[in-house]
Amino acid sequence: MLPVTMKNLWARRRRLTGMVVAIGLGVAFLAGALTLGDTLSANFNQLFSTATSGISVVVRSATTVSGGVTGDRPPIPASLAAAVRRVPGVAAAQPSITGAAELLGSDGKAIGKLGPPRSAGNWISDPALSPYRLAAGRAPQGLHEVVIDRSAATTGKLSIGSVTTALTPALVRVRVVGLATFGTANSFGGAPYTAFSLAGAQRYLTTKPGQVSAIEVSAAPGVSPGTLAGRLDRVLPPGVQAITGTELTQQNLSALNSEFLSALRIFLVIFAGIALLVAAFSIASTFGILVAQRTKEAALLRTVGATRRQVLTGVLAEALTVGAAGSILGLLGGLGIAELLKGLFDSFGFALPAAGLVVSPGSVIVSLVAGIVVTVGVSIIPAVRASRVAPLEALRESAAEPAGPRRRRAITGLALAVAGLAVVLAGLSGSGNKVLTVVGLGAVVLTAGFVVLGPAVARPVTGALGRPLAAWRGVTGTLARRSAQRSPRRTAAAATALAIGVAVVTLFTVYAASLRAADINGVTDSFTGDIAISADGFGGGGSGGGISLAFGRSVSKVPGVRTVSGLVKGQAEVGGRSADVTAVIPATIGAVLDLRPVTGSIRTLTRDQIAVSQVEANDRGWRMGSRVGLVLPDGTRESVTVGAIYTSRNLAGDTVLPVSLWAPHTLQLTASEIFVKLAPGTNVAAAQAAITRAAAGYGKPTVEDHAAFVASAGKPVSMFLGLVYVLLVLAIVIAVFGIANTLSLSVYERTREIGLLRAVGETRAQTRSMVRLESVLVSVFGTVGGLGLGTFLGWALAQAGAKAEGLATFALPGGQLVLIVILGAVAGIVAAIRPAGRAARLPLLAAIATE
Amino acid sequence: METLIKTAAARAVALTKIYGAGEAAVRALDRVTAEFPRERFTAIMGPSGSGKSTLMHCLAGLDQPSSGQVFLGDLELGSLSDTQLTVLRRERVGFIFQSFNLLPTLSVAENIALPLLLSGRKPDRSWLDTVIGIVRLGDRLSHRPSELSGGQQQRVAVARALASQPEIIFADEPTGNLDSRSGAQLLGFLRQTVSELGQTVVMVTHDPAAAAAADSVTFLADGRIAGDLPHPGADAILDRLKQLGEREA
Repeated sequence: MLPVTMKNLWARRRRLTGMVVAIGLGVAFLAGALTLGDTLSANFNQLFSTATSGISVVVRSATTVSGGVTGDRPPIPASLAAAVRRVPGVAAAQPSITGAAELLGSDGKAIGKLGPPRSAGNWISDPALSPYRLAAGRAPQGLHEVVIDRSAATTGKLSIGSVTTALTPALVRVRVVGLATFGTANSFGGAPYTAFSLAGAQRYLTTKPGQVSAIEVSAAPGVSPGTLAGRLDRVLPPGVQAITGTELTQQNLSALNSEFLSALRIFLVIFAGIALLVAAFSIASTFGILVAQRTKEAALLRTVGATRRQVLTGVLAEALTVGAAGSILGLLGGLGIAELLKGLFDSFGFALPAAGLVVSPGSVIVSLVAGIVVTVGVSIIPAVRASRVAPLEALRESAAEPAGPRRRRAITGLALAVAGLAVVLAGLSGSGNKVLTVVGLGAVVLTAGFVVLGPAVARPVTGALGRPLAAWRGVTGTLARRSAQRSPRRTAAAATALAIGVAVVTLFTVYAASLRAADINGVTDSFTGDIAISADGFGGGGSGGGISLAFGRSVSKVPGVRTVSGLVKGQAEVGGRSADVTAVIPATIGAVLDLRPVTGSIRTLTRDQIAVSQVEANDRGWRMGSRVGLVLPDGTRESVTVGAIYTSRNLAGDTVLPVSLWAPHTLQLTASEIFVKLAPGTNVAAAQAAITRAAAGYGKPTVEDHAAFVASAGKPVSMFLGLVYVLLVLAIVIAVFGIANTLSLSVYERTREIGLLRAVGETRAQTRSMVRLESVLVSVFGTVGGLGLGTFLGWALAQAGAKAEGLATFALPGGQLVLIVILGAVAGIVAAIRPAGRAARLPLLAAIATE
Repeated sequence: METLIKTAAARAVALTKIYGAGEAAVRALDRVTAEFPRERFTAIMGPSGSGKSTLMHCLAGLDQPSSGQVFLGDLELGSLSDTQLTVLRRERVGFIFQSFNLLPTLSVAENIALPLLLSGRKPDRSWLDTVIGIVRLGDRLSHRPSELSGGQQQRVAVARALASQPEIIFADEPTGNLDSRSGAQLLGFLRQTVSELGQTVVMVTHDPAAAAAADSVTFLADGRIAGDLPHPGADAILDRLKQLGEREA
């Protein structure tokens, strides 16, 4: 049996190519996603290891206020260094200061892009204690000399001897005296680093004298880091800890993982899952046709004496081979995709060490297994059907699908769909965090019902959609329509692949539109100023993306400016949980930002009060006057009360503090946004121009008027959506493959019909048109179905989000939805190109031959 | 005298068709010259491999000869493009094949009107009614081919062949798949189209009984004309076939 199967496979290789490609694309995506995850993980591992390679032990504060990678710890006294050096086994100990600073390039713009943080510190010459190596020039001396990493120098067009400004956030004129590499790389993963002398770092990067961020210790030969850490712990005061370099690397890595890497991995794998699902449907339709075509052959085998099991295993063996071939190709393709995605990362500013891709055996196995399992799984039902065929079938001409238990299918599908709908609506009527889970579950059930229902509705729906075809294109249109209706199971499988891709795209489009509308509405409602100044990068505060307060002071001197008030963002422990907080000047913030207080007022917040959003208050069970414990970035504990509760969360987040409470305890004070209110009658454009000119010396933050600022509130969502679309294009491509496949095989099946049509007078152009119209009809069927499902689920998701997060908008992006339908039709035309051409070129005589 | 003035419905002049090349070349037709007069029912007969189907395909514009000329009326087919040939088949030629004549997704009425629908013309209702009347399918117009017997399907094919009011109808073994009664009935319809509607029918067949229904039989052997028999009886045809077979052996 096996040699027969293999021979058959080889003979049909052209027809199976389509399936191999479909599965290949799905597996490629999965393999690419997994490989990228592995590569990123390994790369960051390497980066962080290099960063701490020579450091045996780090002495630092034991308190941590935020759990992030860039999480700042309170500083420790510099005097501890002397005590540390006296501990036996210590070869060298150096104080290290880690802060944030923006370095301005020669064009006046801050160096560094959206991704990695912009850090600064003190230059440590001991190679055992610092991963940075001097590549040119010398170490900094005095207060105004710095060493910068080579990457930053290239980006900012700086060289040894350049004089520029560092925003620390105070403006400091500095001269570059040296260029450094991070190990052998040009920078720490693309992150700009500015190193002052110890004195300079202490002056500009710390708020109080005599403080450092940590003390880095190298162990004498023969002393293990663990032992040394133990010895150091004994001499250190409470609140200060000693951890080994390895431990530090682990902590940093797990922080990065939880903040970023695992979310990215999950995101990518979900999309890979969708791609595989779409591939599964594409294959299902193709497999169905192949098996139907070979009914006669199977019957012949059965007459000749093959048992049912032999026929079944024959088909499954084919599926296995196709799956294996596709998976192997997909694996190779996946490496290409991983490279592509890595390139995407580079463009965001993450310069990963060019160590190439990391291909882990686990990922390889998972990808291969997934591809094979999907292919074989999809082939089981057609295989069983083939094995059940009666030998007499060999003598009959039937090529159409059996009418089958269509009613049972319709009922099951309807039941599932209704059940899913009910669960979704029930979920939405509830409240709290469970809403999203319930709605998600309902969505899955609804989609399952949708898929099951597909073949049952394929005939009537394609009939309805195709009715104008007869009027519009005459008999060519009629033939296309009838052909699509004739095999509903096949039509539905091909259309479902596209429908799922379209549904996911629509889901995100609708959800994102609602989000964007909510964001824009929120900002429109709350921003009452005239001009907004904002910094790039991941917010202000610790990660170095902030605006200097000195700039705010110079803005207030611009003629026409009445009020200047901004937002300072950071992290603190609020009521036991790490939280993002915003500090404001209570007296002036009201002029530019309307937080819509429900109780209390922001203006009257005192030093021992905070304001929280209604959502946060509900979540934590707080009311006016509730006592809340705070841990501020420098480790200070404060007990405050809730002085106001507000509803507008868009710009200021969930927790607002008066700056008098925040400023003394923060490490570096920068604003993430500065808002300006002009005196009535002032020319907005003129004021904006003046402020922009002033901004030139402060790293050129973005200066926008009201309308522009509101509009840019939608940008982060748009960026996310862009990424989603890029990933989903692949799923759509797979679906189009499925349709093209189905059509090709259908054309082959109708060889004699097409031959007859050509003999009787259908031109080649008419033949192509007929095939193309059928393809468009099937595609539009899938697109419209996916659009409906996606819109409903997008609405449900937006509503669920509203429950959990306080969004309350639903926006239907009509224009974009119409575009999706048009793209669906275009997909149909594209899918038809080859099958239509093949149909038109069918050799007439062979087609009408009676043998 | 009249037959000299009227041009033949279809004509082959030194028609040659060679398949393959070099040593494997097969001469399906070898300088065949033949005429098929109008308003006549002509049968083309010969043993298998004689080239009869090939001759019909070339006459109908379904195949390109290697050399020689084919005329449909006054029109030489060699100079026409594929689209022109297709339009020609649609409007001036009718086809009946041995099997698989009908499109399974179209109704009987739609199958009959197919050539007209393809050209986008509005069908002439009264002509269609006449044609449907001749083959006696008036009660089956909305049915699908799968609901008809073999004989009925062939009758639909005849109706379709007539629908565009062609100059000539080509039939390739039209009774091949039918039992003798349906076959005789079909041949009767074909005769009717010639005698009552003035059609020209050229039928390829290997069945002497079918050929006997024709006005004359042209014989083909080894790709060459091997004579013809006017108004033949079945016996005479059988004899002639035997002779041809012996000649080969």
